[in-house]
Amino acid sequence: MPILHTRAERLDRAVDALLAGSPVAPPVDPGLRPLVDLAAALRGALLPVPAGSRLEARLAARLATRSPLGDGMRAFRERATRELRSRDRLLLAGAVSSAAVGVGVTAYAVWHRSALRRS
Amino acid sequence: MRQPDRAASPDDPRVDPDLDAVRAAQADRAAFATLYRRYLDRVYGYAFYQLGDHHDAEDATERTFMAALAALGGFRDTGSTFRAWLFRIAHNTIANAHRSRARRPTIALPDGWDRPAAEADPARLVGRGEELREVLRLIDQLPEDRRQVVLLRFVDELTSREIGIVLDRSEGAVRVLLHRALRELAARVAEDRLA
Repeated sequence: MPILHTRAERLDRAVDALLAGSPVAPPVDPGLRPLVDLAAALRGALLPVPAGSRLEARLAARLATRSPLGDGMRAFRERATRELRSRDRLLLAGAVSSAAVGVGVTAYAVWHRSALRRS
Repeated sequence: MRQPDRAASPDDPRVDPDLDAVRAAQADRAAFATLYRRYLDRVYGYAFYQLGDHHDAEDATERTFMAALAALGGFRDTGSTFRAWLFRIAHNTIANAHRSRARRPTIALPDGWDRPAAEADPARLVGRGEELREVLRLIDQLPEDRRQVVLLRFVDELTSREIGIVLDRSEGAVRVLLHRALRELAARVAEDRLA
């Protein structure tokens, strides 16, 4: 839709100018003028809604007192989740763990047998 | 943090005006207060227009800023501005709130409107209440994506590029959505006048 795209771009630029508070130049396409007027009416009607002072104070206190321990735990949890999400890493970790357990059991069996022989 | 790979010109709309404050907050969490104060009203306003309820908007605002603070270390100025990043968090938080309510509410004005506006000029707001109610009724009839674009563009004054980041759309797609939204609203206004 190349024509619509071009008109959409021109309208967007006019809205940019409107929001910046600069005088909006008449669009080349007169068909856009009603839309630019409507955009101006919308901007005038959609008033900003300020947050209450209680919310401001409460949230400021919460943001200021966020515990570093909580941050650390969150970072650990996110990292663990990331690690576990990787199937290859999970398989590798499993293989290394199994091998470590195998080596440990074998070492214990060898030690146990030699201890029995000595006694 | 990686340096931006673009020419920093004050006229370049891609330059993030919040970047210094973001870097300060990444180095010292206490500096996040600057960004918080700068965007509290705007995030609250976005949540209020989306959720139509004062308490839900406050809750979504709190969740947004707590999540932003937790994730701030991961923010990089690679193609996104801080405010687009923040509004994307707000957008996702509000979407979760919508899901938890399991319905899309009509934007309600009277109850929620009086309370957050208590510190604003009441005479100005009372005079415009009817006009605003009518405008919101029309916006509420738009398809969801067009409604989002209208609110982000005219309430929060985000650029089409920033809205694209928030809604995960291209800048061109946002422009087309805005154009279609305004055409649809204009048609509805004309219908109402004829009726």
